[in-house]
Amino acid sequence: MKVLRLKYEKNEIIEKNKEIEVCFKCSTCSKFCPITKNVKKYNLEDSFVTQIFEAEKPEALNDVWMCCVCEKCVITCPQDTNPTDAFTNLKEKSYQEGFAPQIIYRLVEQLLQEGTVYSLKFTNLARKRAGLKEIEKNEKSIEELNILAQKTGLAKKEVSE
Amino acid sequence: MISYLFFKGCTIPASLPKVEKLALEVLPEIGINLVESDEFTCCPDPIRLQGANQFFWLSVAARNIAIAEEKKLDIMTLCNGCENTLAIVNYRLKNNSELKNKVNEVLKEINLEFKGNIKIRHFLQVLKEDIGLDNLKKMVRTPLDDFKVAGHPGCHLLMPHEILKFDNPVDPEFYDQFIAALGATSIDYLTKADCCGVSLSLAGDKEASNNCIQNKLIDIQLSGAQFVSTACPACFNQFDFGQLIASRDFPQLQEKPIPVLYAIELLALAMGRSFEEIGYNLHRVKAPVKEMV
Repeated sequence: MKVLRLKYEKNEIIEKNKEIEVCFKCSTCSKFCPITKNVKKYNLEDSFVTQIFEAEKPEALNDVWMCCVCEKCVITCPQDTNPTDAFTNLKEKSYQEGFAPQIIYRLVEQLLQEGTVYSLKFTNLARKRAGLKEIEKNEKSIEELNILAQKTGLAKKEVSE
Repeated sequence: MISYLFFKGCTIPASLPKVEKLALEVLPEIGINLVESDEFTCCPDPIRLQGANQFFWLSVAARNIAIAEEKKLDIMTLCNGCENTLAIVNYRLKNNSELKNKVNEVLKEINLEFKGNIKIRHFLQVLKEDIGLDNLKKMVRTPLDDFKVAGHPGCHLLMPHEILKFDNPVDPEFYDQFIAALGATSIDYLTKADCCGVSLSLAGDKEASNNCIQNKLIDIQLSGAQFVSTACPACFNQFDFGQLIASRDFPQLQEKPIPVLYAIELLALAMGRSFEEIGYNLHRVKAPVKEMV
């Protein structure tokens, strides 16, 4: 009986997450994964974790970004495969190669412009309503953030339509 | 009085500003002094921005920590996401000198250095480790005698357990103890450690998100709780606005709405504030309080 059916030899991400090789598709993680439990197309036979692990080009799947890093799969995996780590690496590849959802690129753009992931204009409207002082843009912090973005190789990808 | 540098994050100042205000007013009454700073940026979040670029994520978090180190203060946050990112990065850099050197090479460009000499604390960790629930109980002014509250600690405060060491990630207990310390009755329910589903809606699957929050809310309804309480702004928004959205698809949620109270709001009520004063009228889901308690 062939237990390992994962197409890991085609999957670059295995280079960074060798422990995936020992996944024997027991579905234990999937009983706790909020994605498999709630997204219609997934089920215990065909779970989020195994679909992503088996995909030819998993970084191109938008669903990779559904992983909420709750680590339920990490707690429950009997083989210590750490799927969460693999998904974070896949997200990174997805972002670098331009496959990430547009909202992720916009989020990075917003962060580098104002230092926070929400627009200060709307933040300050809410603060005014609650009787709080408005937040002012801290130019020095934003400049530092942009230096970090440059030095760490955070690609400023153009949003593809 | 213990002083902490208040790490507000992005979500609380933007969508729960009243919670920020309450924290600054109420926490000194239980011995926590919050020092504000405008130098912090987004933590950044462990789901999306960590995914975009892990080295950038590490470096921005290390910058935030290094700022607190210069002020010689431990960080306190009110948000699970901020706690998760900052605590993980603090731990990794403290325990991996190669990674620390790599990050410090980058931080040098902005004249900062990660040293690894402060602690990162979520508000609930401060209660657990620094204040103590027995002491909190003594400080409560108006015990919440008639309240039945279901606690939702949230995923990112429970895992990774080896780093956060906060509570049992499968069967968490601390939130219930916190509720009990305020004089309320804590209500246990089966899906307590489950995800609230907010990330499913962020990833674009509203149906899955509605389904996820609905499962938890039905479970809470059946448990007999009147309120659910959390100390994570993302979970709070899912329980509040998310409940409103999900109730369009699930009429059972309209029959018995479960209002959510932020941990700080619950504490403020126990410290003598009224529902009006905690900003309950700003919530989207609000069952009439008089009928409930």
